[in-house]
Amino acid sequence: MLKGAGVSDGIGIGRVLVIEEHSLEYTPKTVTDKKAETERFNDAVKVFCENTEKQANSLRISASEKEAEIMLGHISIVKDPYLTGEVEKLINDGQCAESAFENICDMFISIFSSTDDEMTKQRAADVRDVKTGILKILLGIYDADISEAPKGTVLAAKELTPSMAAGINKENIVGIITETGGTTSHSAILARVLEIPAVMSIANLSEYIQNGDTVIVDGSSGEVLESPDNAQLERYTQKQEQLLKERRELENFRGKVTVSADGERYELVCNIGKPEDAAKALEFDGEGVGLFRTEFLFMNKSSLPSEDEQFKEYKKAALMLKGKPLIIRTLDIGGDKEIPYMGLKKEDNPFMGFRAIRYCLKNREIFKTQLRAILRASAFGNISIMFPLITCVEELREGKALIEEIKAELRAGGTEFDENIKVGIMVETASAAVIADILAKESDFFSIGTNDLTGYTMSCDRGNSDVSYLYSVLQPSVLRMIKRIIECARENNIPVGMCGEAAADPMMIPLLISFGLTEFSVSAPSVLKVRKCISGWTKQKADEAAKKVMSLDTRQSVYDYLKTVI
Amino acid sequence: MITQKLTISNAQGFHMRPASVFSAAMGKYPCKVTINFNGNSYNAKSTLNLIAACMKCGSEIELVCDGENENGAMAEAVQLIESGFGE
Repeated sequence: MLKGAGVSDGIGIGRVLVIEEHSLEYTPKTVTDKKAETERFNDAVKVFCENTEKQANSLRISASEKEAEIMLGHISIVKDPYLTGEVEKLINDGQCAESAFENICDMFISIFSSTDDEMTKQRAADVRDVKTGILKILLGIYDADISEAPKGTVLAAKELTPSMAAGINKENIVGIITETGGTTSHSAILARVLEIPAVMSIANLSEYIQNGDTVIVDGSSGEVLESPDNAQLERYTQKQEQLLKERRELENFRGKVTVSADGERYELVCNIGKPEDAAKALEFDGEGVGLFRTEFLFMNKSSLPSEDEQFKEYKKAALMLKGKPLIIRTLDIGGDKEIPYMGLKKEDNPFMGFRAIRYCLKNREIFKTQLRAILRASAFGNISIMFPLITCVEELREGKALIEEIKAELRAGGTEFDENIKVGIMVETASAAVIADILAKESDFFSIGTNDLTGYTMSCDRGNSDVSYLYSVLQPSVLRMIKRIIECARENNIPVGMCGEAAADPMMIPLLISFGLTEFSVSAPSVLKVRKCISGWTKQKADEAAKKVMSLDTRQSVYDYLKTVI
Repeated sequence: MITQKLTISNAQGFHMRPASVFSAAMGKYPCKVTINFNGNSYNAKSTLNLIAACMKCGSEIELVCDGENENGAMAEAVQLIESGFGE
């Protein structure tokens, strides 16, 4: 058995097709007809650009826009005026096109590789791809046509290049195994977007496998079985069918509404941290965004983001969602992050300290800038505003008063915004949970942040291994908090969502249905799982489970009981 | 010849996309466009040069435009950098 890194889930069983590495060796020549040589180089560039554009188009269909964009980036490298200028100089000095191009590329590869910036280092791989591509054309080497590979093929290669990926026919390729590439490598990302089981980083792969070998690729465990016996084949075929069945079952929930077994409708949305993630939320069939964290705008910077800068990002997310809900949470930052330009200092107890809404209400200009940017973006979609870390009603009132102030300014200036924008709060502190009845009267909606709520209620830091055993959303105290928050919201007829990890927990879902939650906000890859889980419960069955759970007195007994009903 | 000092403000600095956008924009002008950063000079019409310069968010650079329509080039360069390349 060969062991590597499982980078793309699933099991593939098939016959190996080894993609040979072509030798790109050549004997450097001295050229005399410099004009002809330059022309030969320019022709190769032209062919390269045409091929790359074709590959980008096919990747745009089989994978994603982003993968296509990386390919198009290769065109901008090969057309770089500095690079072509230097190549032409070397050709005029008498070098042949091959060595001229290789020399310049190698120079950039070594410059990029020697920096200590991860992003720049990765660009070395792009230049290497371009170099290989151009050399192949100059040397008249043609790649094996992967698109012609027969059904049930496992591709084996040194690495999965974007040009290879572009040739993959998803119907026929059942697995990918490579010598290089880790979980975060570009090869791995390509395998995942193509949804083909893949194991990478297998040392000396080519010594162990040959064309035509039957192999089993387990992309979850990172194992590759060469020449499996019948028992292994049978076991893995079963496992494969099971996985495919689960995946198909989930796919049945794509494009459907989120509804319980007895027809109650729920909202199922996503948590995102960047505007681009809004596209991911839609790709995974989320019905909108229940939590857009805005901290990314403020991190890794040397100065505050301007109103326009923020406006553009919020607007971008709103436009991508095309009218689907987008709840933007205002800045939730504190002494756990050191941000010198914001005057945030390290604190002994940052989670109890000067952070989130507390910081914003004291630094009104920063807060107003963000609120104004959100209000302006509200003209372009279905945006709501959410305040984090509310502990008392005055904070909500002050925040809302600021919003009214900004609305008046915008009106006076003739700037468009959504007059009826909803303003809600995160309920994530013990105090907010206890006064949820008071807060619900002045808030347009609640979103329960279970991660912090659990930590604050249990007074425990889950990162501290001595006390983390206390940290569980299934603690009777936390469940009582959640039940109370939801009931207070329902009594006041406001929507109540949950945006912590618990919203996607199959154990919590019946309880949340019973308590009366209206919106589940989860990570994008969990959407279909949660939709399926909700569809399995009726209100009556959920009520029975919740009634029993609320009569139990320890986390362990809650856990043991829920294990029996899910 | 005109020069101006600027600070890179987009979160990720001059990575692939901003570098392509910037070099393509500068390529339209006949004048020479150079960026001085960290004691080196880089050809601003070259994506590869810009990536090699490793300019990050907060990096202070000097932009030099020299030749025909240098004012136009400078205006567009400043606009691109200050807007954070529309990121």
